[in-house]
Order: sequence, then C-alpha cells, then structure tokens
Amino acid sequence: MNLVKRIYNWVDIRVGTGELVEKELTGYLLPVNINVWFSMGSILLFIFAMQVVTGMLLLVYYVPDADKAFKSVSFIMNDVPFGWLVRMCHAVGSNMMVLMLLFHMLSVLFMGSYKSPREMNWLSGFILFNLAMGISLTGYLLPWSQLSFWATTVATNSVGSVPVVGPYLVEFLRGGKLVGPPTLGRFFALHVAVIPALIAALIGAHLFFLQRTGVSTPPFGLMDTTNRWQNDRYRYESHPGGIPFFPHYALQDLTSIAVYCALFLGVAFFDPYIFFPSTAFIPANPFQTPAHIKPEWYFLPNYQTLKLFPSEFLGIAVQVAAMTFLALLPFIDRGKEKHPLKRPLFMVCAVGGIIIYIALMVWGHYS
Amino acid sequence: MKCSFLQTGDVPHALRFAFILLCMLSFPLDVIAQETATVCLQCHSAQTGRGGMVVQPWKTSIHAENGISCHDCHGGDPKDAVNAMSPARGFLGVPKETDIPAFCGRCHVGIRDDYLQSAHGRALGKGGPTCVTCHGSHDIKKVTLELINEKSCSRCHPYERAAEIKAAMVETERQFMSIEGRLARFKGEGVDTEATDKELFSIRNTYHRLFHEVNTNRVKSESSKLQGELAKLDHILQKLDEQRAKRKITGAFVIAGALVAALLFYLLRKTYGNDR
Repeated sequence: MNLVKRIYNWVDIRVGTGELVEKELTGYLLPVNINVWFSMGSILLFIFAMQVVTGMLLLVYYVPDADKAFKSVSFIMNDVPFGWLVRMCHAVGSNMMVLMLLFHMLSVLFMGSYKSPREMNWLSGFILFNLAMGISLTGYLLPWSQLSFWATTVATNSVGSVPVVGPYLVEFLRGGKLVGPPTLGRFFALHVAVIPALIAALIGAHLFFLQRTGVSTPPFGLMDTTNRWQNDRYRYESHPGGIPFFPHYALQDLTSIAVYCALFLGVAFFDPYIFFPSTAFIPANPFQTPAHIKPEWYFLPNYQTLKLFPSEFLGIAVQVAAMTFLALLPFIDRGKEKHPLKRPLFMVCAVGGIIIYIALMVWGHYS
Repeated sequence: MKCSFLQTGDVPHALRFAFILLCMLSFPLDVIAQETATVCLQCHSAQTGRGGMVVQPWKTSIHAENGISCHDCHGGDPKDAVNAMSPARGFLGVPKETDIPAFCGRCHVGIRDDYLQSAHGRALGKGGPTCVTCHGSHDIKKVTLELINEKSCSRCHPYERAAEIKAAMVETERQFMSIEGRLARFKGEGVDTEATDKELFSIRNTYHRLFHEVNTNRVKSESSKLQGELAKLDHILQKLDEQRAKRKITGAFVIAGALVAALLFYLLRKTYGNDR
C-alpha cells in the first residue's frame, strides 16, 4: 500500500471521506437534461474566490486614508510588480460578478427554478445580488478618485429622498454632512469586512438550500414540464438515472469557468478601460464637480429611473416596489408550469422587463 | 396557467387618489437650482451696445474655460450690482494702451517681461503692438503657432521674418502636441505621469518664452535644444508603449491557455457521455 493510500485510509476511517465523496460527488446525481446555464453558480463561486484573493493582495498596499488612498492605488498600478493586473482583475471582476449574477438570475427565471419548494433559494440569491451591488458601490469609493468621490456623493444623496429619516440616513452613511474621510472609513469597513462576511454566509445558506432541495429539473426536452412538488412534507428532488456531479458535471463547470476566464482576462488585458472613465484616475477634488458624472453600468437603470420621475422619492419608491416584486416572485407566481414558452404572461413581463432595463441603461449612458 | 400576478383590471379609485397624492407630496420645493452668474455678466449680457459685445467672445475664451471671470482682470465686486464698478471695490475699468502689458502681466509675469524686452515691447506707446493686438481682449484663445500668421503680422511689418521664426518652431510644436496627447492617454489609463508632466511643464515654459522673441537665430537654436529635451520624453513614452504591448502579448498567451483548457475539459466531458 503506497503512502497516499495509507493517508487516505487513515482519514477515511476517521471522517468517512469515501462515503462523503460517494454522497456529494460521484453519487450526487443531476437531471439528464441539465444544461450549461446550471454552471453559472460555479462561475460565480469562482469569481467570488477571485475577488477575495485579489482583494487581499490589494489590501497589502492600499491605505484607507483620504490623503493617501489615491496615491496608494497609483502605487499599486505603477510600482508594485503585477499590481496593475491584480487591481484590474479586482475591478473587472466586480463588473463581471454583477453580469454573471444577472445571467444566473435570468436562467433561474426562465427555467422556473425559483418555484416551490425553492423560494428560499431564490430569496437568498436575490439578497446575494443586492449584496454584490452593495460591495461594488462601497468598493467604488476606495480609490478616492474624482469618479469615486462624486459617484458616491450622487448615490448617497439619493438616500436623502427617503421620507423623514432620509437626511439622517445620508449623514449616517457619510459619517458627516458631506462625503469625506469618515465616509471612506465606513465604506472600507463595509467593503472588506461586513459585506464579504454577509456574502459568505449567504452563499453558505444558498448552497445549503440547494443541497437540501436538490437540483431543479430544467423544463427543456421533457414532455411534462410542470412542477411536481407536493406541498405536504419535505422531499428531496432526486434524479435517479441522472448524471453524476463528479466527474461529469464538474467537467462542464470547469469548461464554463475556463471560457469565463478567457473572456474575463480578455477584458483585463486588452481593454479594462471600458469600466474606467478618465475621471477614475484623477484624485478626488471636493471643490470641482466633473461634468457628466455617471454611475457604473449596473446602476445606470436606477440612475435613469430617478431622473425620469419628478422627485427622487418617487423614483426610489418605484424601484423599491419593483425590487420587492422581484424578491417575492416565487410567492406571487404560484403556477405549476416551468417551460417559458408555456408561460406567455411571464414571457411578456420578463422580456419586457429586460428590454426596459437595457433601454434605461443605454438611455442613462447617453443622457 | 395559474398566475395570480400582474392581472389587469380596474385600479380602485382610492388607489388612484393615493398615487396622485404621493406624486404631489413628493415634489421637492426647491426643484430648480438657479444657475448663478456674476452681476457683471448679468448686466452686460442684457446690454445691446458696445458693453454687451464682450460677453459672448469671453464665453469662448481660454479665460472662461479656466474660470477667469470679468472681475479677475477688471476688479470690482461681482456680487453687488450697485457697487460692482466702484473704484472703492477695486474696479479698474479698461486700461490705457500703455498700461495693457502691466494689466495682463499681473498674472502672466514672465511673459510680460519677455514682451517688454522684445522689439514689440520696446515699441510700446510708439505704435508698437500690445498684448491685445495679437491675442485679442476678450476672445483670448489658447496660444498656438497659428497666432503667427501673415494677416495678423503684416498689419505692422513684412511677414518674412515672422514666417522664418514660425517655421523653426513648427517641429517643436508638433512634438509637444504628440507628447501631450500620449500623456493624456496614459493618464486616462492610470499611469503615473507626474514626473513626465513636470518635465514637460518646464520645457513648455521655456518654449512659451520664445513666443515673444523676434531674434530668428536665437529662436532656431533654442528650438533645437527643446526638441532634444522633448525627444527624451518621447523615449520614456515609447518605453511605456512597449511595456503595454508586452502585457498584451502575455495576455494573448494566457487567454489562449484558458481556451485550450476549456477545450480539453469539454472533450473530457464528452468522453464520459451520460453513463455512470
């Protein structure tokens, strides 16, 4: 018996690794008609890991002080070996994370995977999406550039439209009347400690719900595309005769992650500046407002919606209503059908929603 | 299909009323922020005669672009319409012809000295040109070599010598434009250009001092020296371009590696099929 096998046996008789591998990997069966969209979750786990690693590397040189933050980022970009690559991967990665989250949510929506008994999977995923937006927003301020400073000023101003408590909320977020050094301290703490911990916890909850409910069956390539879950007792959705997660679907996950890496590195190496206007490289100046300050692409629909309404409060109220509707969708849409083409009302709403979302984004960009 | 959401139907009157009330309540009182302008601009914009002719040219000037307003040159109080032109508030009005170099020279100190030492400056008050003869008084544009042209120079003297000076400076100007453009691009990509910026600023200052020099030989020799200095900066920027090209080549290999890995994983997945 060679050394590796002896070590494996030593561990196995203590923690039962063989049984664990059989249960969670080789014996973990997935629907035979599973498709590539189911690997979005693995891509997102990979992105989150990349963000954590690159974020930790940036922390080595980043100084969360309003007088030193911009210079420290400039130092990372120009003097630290491969610092530019780490920073670009972190910044491009945050954009890609939001993009992939959108794709993941859309695939869940169109395949009806949010339906019972997966309400908690959807809710935890929806909260994760909002946390990803939050971590992106808080990270945006950290380089202390003109873009960071003024985009944060605009974003925190919007909170002031909340009736009664709005002004207090703005002051609480900023740590003062205006965006300044205390804001940087608060956003830094949120970005590197509070939100990552919440995201990690929510990912754990999301995976736990997935593990307990089982992978949903995609509605494509089947005669019966209805949700067969019965609302009487807990049942695990097993897939007898399905394909094993390992090595079969794990290889699909790896294929998707490798394709994602090619796309992500293509942006990071060849044109990361699609995510960086020139104001991103000018130090913050509270006395000089840049012309045409715009938020990141994923906040453009929110930004344009705020502009469409006569008051910011109404704009925010509409967005809160839309987000609440989306969050509670599994509780509102109780229909059994999962195939998108057999859900015409859903299709009209979903496609209409996507068109409006993209139109607002484009409009926000050019307005 | 059982979908209870998004069903159409009449909206109850109470809900409509609540919505309208919400819209009305949420209108902020201070909807429109008034654009603030100095009292100088407010009065002169409304004037139809000579006084009103200065506003529009100023708006297109390098001064307006850099936030230099009426009171920065002419003095006075830009916030008090009644006392805006009061000498007690520092109002200087329009300078006499011989006072113009000193008037402009309060800010452009080095250029005033260069001008006063030049043939142009030595002819001040004796028919020679002042600052505004070439640069204009309100529609002042960013200085370029275009300012030296036959139409403008031949108002006072033959153009030949000016043309010779301009020719000596054209190449230097081209180098400046090229380096400035590339520096702006690098800056917009997060490159720390501070040291190169300072170097260029220093060279540009020396270059600008040549603008009021009318000694052709000196202009030629100084231009040649400046071109040498600019060539060094150009070399630094070339190194940066090479570094970025190398990064892209490395990136292309890494991306190719990721795509090959994707292909291998895909082929391996295919070999397993759907069998356990």
